[in-house]
Parts: sequence; structure tokens; C-alpha cells
Amino acid sequence: MRLPALARTTPFRLTLIFLSLFATVAAIFLAYIYIATAGEVTRQADREIGREFDSLQAVYARGGITALNQEVIQRSVGDRPFVYLLMDAHAKPVTGTLARTPVDPALKAPAETGFRITDTDPDGAVVHTQGWGRQIRLPSGELLFVGADISEGRAAVIRIVRAIEGAAVLVIPLGLVVGLVVSRNVSRSLAEVNKAVAAVEGGDLHARIPVRGVRDEYDELALRLNGMLDRLERLMGGLRHAGDAIAHDLRSPLTRLRARLEVALMEVEAGHADPRAALVQALEDSDAVLRTFSAVLAITRLEAAGRIVEPKPFDVSELAGGVAELYEVLCEEKGQDFGMELAPGLMIKGDRDFVAQALANLLDNAVKYTPGGGAVMLRARRRGSGEIEITVTDTGPGIPEEDRDRVLERFVRLEQSRSAPGSGLGLSLVAAVATAHGGRLELDEGPGMVDGKGPGLRTALVFPPA
Amino acid sequence: MRILVIEDDAAAASAMCRGLGEAGHECMTAADGVFGLDAARAGTFDVMVVDRMMPRMDGVTLVETLRREGDQTPVLFLSALGEIEDRVTGLKAGGDDYLVKPYAFAELIARVEALARRRETGSVQTLLRTGELEMDLIGRRVTRAGKEIDLQPREFQLLEYLMRHAGQSVTRTMLLEEVWEYHFDPQTNVIDVHISRLRSKIDKGFDRPMLQTVRGAGYRLDA
Repeated sequence: MRLPALARTTPFRLTLIFLSLFATVAAIFLAYIYIATAGEVTRQADREIGREFDSLQAVYARGGITALNQEVIQRSVGDRPFVYLLMDAHAKPVTGTLARTPVDPALKAPAETGFRITDTDPDGAVVHTQGWGRQIRLPSGELLFVGADISEGRAAVIRIVRAIEGAAVLVIPLGLVVGLVVSRNVSRSLAEVNKAVAAVEGGDLHARIPVRGVRDEYDELALRLNGMLDRLERLMGGLRHAGDAIAHDLRSPLTRLRARLEVALMEVEAGHADPRAALVQALEDSDAVLRTFSAVLAITRLEAAGRIVEPKPFDVSELAGGVAELYEVLCEEKGQDFGMELAPGLMIKGDRDFVAQALANLLDNAVKYTPGGGAVMLRARRRGSGEIEITVTDTGPGIPEEDRDRVLERFVRLEQSRSAPGSGLGLSLVAAVATAHGGRLELDEGPGMVDGKGPGLRTALVFPPA
Repeated sequence: MRILVIEDDAAAASAMCRGLGEAGHECMTAADGVFGLDAARAGTFDVMVVDRMMPRMDGVTLVETLRREGDQTPVLFLSALGEIEDRVTGLKAGGDDYLVKPYAFAELIARVEALARRRETGSVQTLLRTGELEMDLIGRRVTRAGKEIDLQPREFQLLEYLMRHAGQSVTRTMLLEEVWEYHFDPQTNVIDVHISRLRSKIDKGFDRPMLQTVRGAGYRLDA
């Protein structure tokens, strides 16, 4: 059987829990008060009756049954708050204010009981009051009963019970109100979470949970979920972008490859062309496609992870020297000056191969865009801030300030560089490597215009120290 | 040589075997890890090409099992996982080389041949000889037809690698990994520049060039 919708909500259940909790606690509390007060009334009477017995037994001990009888008569007419009854050994009343004993005369031991006292008030009306008494058997066989009027105490207890009943009636709506208030808060916070999650589920990755700013668990939950959604959105965006990028950039070389193969096939069939040359060209084209693919994959992985998975410390000065050695020959080949200033022993933490790739990309760009007779300079130093900086400066055309952010995006190639080989992924990968290491890539102007060349480009990889 | 290709992509495995056949090798395929293990136990092979991710038994488990059984056949792992850790896991499991998909077929053949060769020349050599070229690994001297050739340290390492793999194609990536110990893709073919420098030193002034460029693959040092 399904519960009605309301009964399945958390507020309803919480309210019920609060109600039953309040009721149970109240009941236990009230029961305790009742037992304590009601019991106290009889205990009090017991103590007084006990003292009365003591004095009566003292009289009995001195003067026997006759003296006791006298004493009982005196006390009965006196202004004492007790009722008395003295009976002979056969339980026949001898003296006293009671006509008959409320206690079973067959009981031998001292026995206690509650009973009703019938009296007349000063106006002559009959009144019944609550009594409590004890009966003992005297050594000579007579029975002596002493009782006390406990109606006042009883009345107090009854008042307390009434008050308790009233309180219990109050507790129910109180529990209801507290339950509703608490659960409404819970439910409202959860409703916001639910709304946002439902929106995300529906495809709206921008949906976020409002944070109330009270720094409670719900705010913490909201902040965490929002953080998770931010990351998810970034990743999805990255993936979508990577997908678009791959589709965009692989489509043209793949189309070119296909066209070349098609034409080559026609030419070879007609006997005009060398099939070998066509195949070699096709191979080179597919290599370019694979290279682009690998670069996009590397960037996507770095961006998806957001950081290097198992960072290890390594000497980046040494690494830079090694990569420089690889590219120095290339500079010489192109008639460029190559200079190097590496502060020794600079340590960073991360992935050596990725950093090597980043440095290679920077050097590669510098060599590629710097004309013959220009210069490429590699420097590694510790900044005043403690950060490790590796810069590559060239005397090429540089990148205009307004384009510097744009060239870090994937596949962005400036007009002037269209003719040069490259995928347009080099700087994007460098930036991704820097970010994954907790660092950044800075682009700046080079040494300025010299002999109509320049102003050059200065790229800086900045890493936090290991 | 005999090559066992353990790869669950049937089309890729068959293309690989055709290519290896063209290169003059005998090739056998196994369609998953379990078949692969049976085939490896049953036959003797010079090199095994093992895909990392396969149904029933993955490549790493397969190679670990073989190594435990004492099979030392060189293994080239193929993987779609390119992360450094994956490479390390593969090599720790007993793989001898690691090639990330997508790869050029020339790269695969070059690496397979290099692995087979590595096994043949197990002993420590102090003198390498390829045709007229002689390399003294202790004295760090190189001569061609008795004429001393002056090499930079890196050029020496480059030539050493080429001489150890004389007669077979080595790719640019192999050179970058083995000589420079970098695992990344240089955008431009910087390796070409280093090779052309080396070539100018060992081939200049001689009638017959020894250092050949293999189109679509890389380089080859011929005796």
C-alpha cells in the first residue's frame, strides 16, 4: 500500500517523530511527578500516624488497656487531626470516632489502608474526605486503628494531575509546531537541492543551489554540490570543445587525405602517376592527423584531470638544458643565435614528460617564427616570490596584445602564422600543462623592434616551487 | 622471425599480420588474453605484441603470468592508455616496450624488430662494428674505414643506438625515447636535424652513405 504523498514527505515524518518524542518525554515526566507527589502524601500521613502510635503505645505500656482507652477517648474529642478506633479482641468497637474499622480485623500484622471519612461540616452537611490509616494488634489482643485525613494532600495531588493533564494537552500542539518548523527548514533546503539537481538532470548544467550564508550543513552541502557542478560543467564544456575541435581539425586533413587518394587512384589507373609517391603523401597526411589527435587528447586529459595525478619532484633546470640541447641545433640550422641562462638546481613537482613537452613546444614556436639572423633565448630562474620561471624569448613578430589570450585557445592560429606548419595546439597544450602543475603561462612582448624585426615574444612558464 | 599478435580487434590484428608478413616475418594472431596465453605457452616466438585491454584476460595479467612461468619472450604492449603511469604499469608487469594507439605501423615494425634484436645481443659489448664503422665504447672513439670521427656526446649516443640497431628502421620517437629519454611528441622533427648533423660527420667524404632515411618510418644505418 502506498502512503499518501503528504505522509511520504520528510516534514510529515519529522513532525510525527517530534510529536511522539514530546508525548513520550511528557508522559514519563508526568508519571514521575505523580508518583512522587501522590506517594509523598501517604508517606507524610504514615509518619504522623507513626508518631501518634508511638505516644499511644507509651500510654498502653504505662497503664495497660484501661489507660489507653482513656487516652483514646480524650484524644477523640480533642482537636487532633486523627480518627481513632479501639476494638476488643473480637473486633468489636470499644471506643473511637469510627463506627467500624476500614481494615480487615483478621489481619494480624500492622496493616495500612486508605479509607473514606464521613463527617459533617460546621453547617451540618455531610462531607466525605480521604483518609489513610494503620491498624495494629496490641499485646493483650485488642485492635487499635489510627487514621489521618489526607484529603488536603490528595487535593493538591489532584490539582497537580489536572495541571499535568493540561500540560499534556499543550505538549501535542507544541510538538506539532516544533516538528513543522524544523521540518519545514529541512524541507525547504532540500527542495532547493532537489530543484537544482533536477535542473541538471534535465540538461541545464548552469543550475546551482542557493547558498544562504549561514554556514550550516546545508550550506556546506550546497557549496560542495555547486563545486561539483562547476567542475562537471567545466569538464563537459572541455569535452564538448575537444569533440568540436577534433571534428573540426581532423575533418579538413581527413578530407584532404581522401581527395588525394581518390585523385591518385585515378591517375595511377590512367598510368599518369607513380603510386608510390601518392602513398607516401597519404602516409604523411595521416601522420599529421595522428599528431593533431594526440595533442588534443593530451590537452583534454590534462584539463579533465585538472592536475598531475602523481606529481614527482624533478630538476627543471636540468630538464630545460636537455630540451634546449635538442633545439639548439635547430636554431643553428636556421641561422639563429641561441642563448641559455639556467640557474642550477631549480626543483618543481609534477610530470617531467609533460613539462618537457611544454618547453619543446615553446622552443619550437620560437624557432619557427623567428627569422634567420634572429635570436632565441632560454632562461630559468627563481622569482623573488619563490616561483620558478622558465622563459623563452625570441625576436620574431610576437603576438599583438589583444590576441594573447586567444592564442591559448585550441586551434587558434593567427593570420600571419597560417602558412607555417603546426596544429594550432602548441600553446594550448603548454597552458594546460602549466595549469595542471598549479602554474601558468604568461605571454609578453620580446626585446622590442630591432632593424625592422620584432618586437618578439616572451613566453614564461611559471611553476610553484617543489 | 616469429611474432605472436594478441589483440582483440580482429581487423587491426589482421592488418598487423599482413604488414609484418610483408616485412618478412611470420605472424600468428590470438583473439583475446586466454587464447593468447595458450598460444604463447604452445609455441616459441621471437616477439609478442600484446594489447593491454582485452576480454577475458587483460594484457598485463597475461604477461605477468608468462613471466612467472619463466617465459622471457620480449613483449611490446599496445595501449589506448597513454598516461605515464600506464606505461610504468606495463613495463613493471614484464613488458619490454610500450606503444600508444594510434601509432604508425612503421613504428610498430621498427620496435618489434628492435626487441627481437635486443634479445640476440644480450652480452655486454665494448666494440660495435657496422660495415666500415667502428665504435669503441670504452675509449669513446669512432672511426670509419680507420679514419677518426669527432662526435659530440649526444651524437655518440645517437650513433651507438643506430649501430646497435644496424640494418633495421628506427623511428624518430624511438630515438627520442632511447637517446634523449623523453616521452613526448616534438612538434617539428628536431630529430631530423640531429641526424643530418651526424650524417654529415659519418658520411661526408665517403662514396657510399650509411645513414639512410626511410620514408614514413625514420632512419636506418646500413653496413
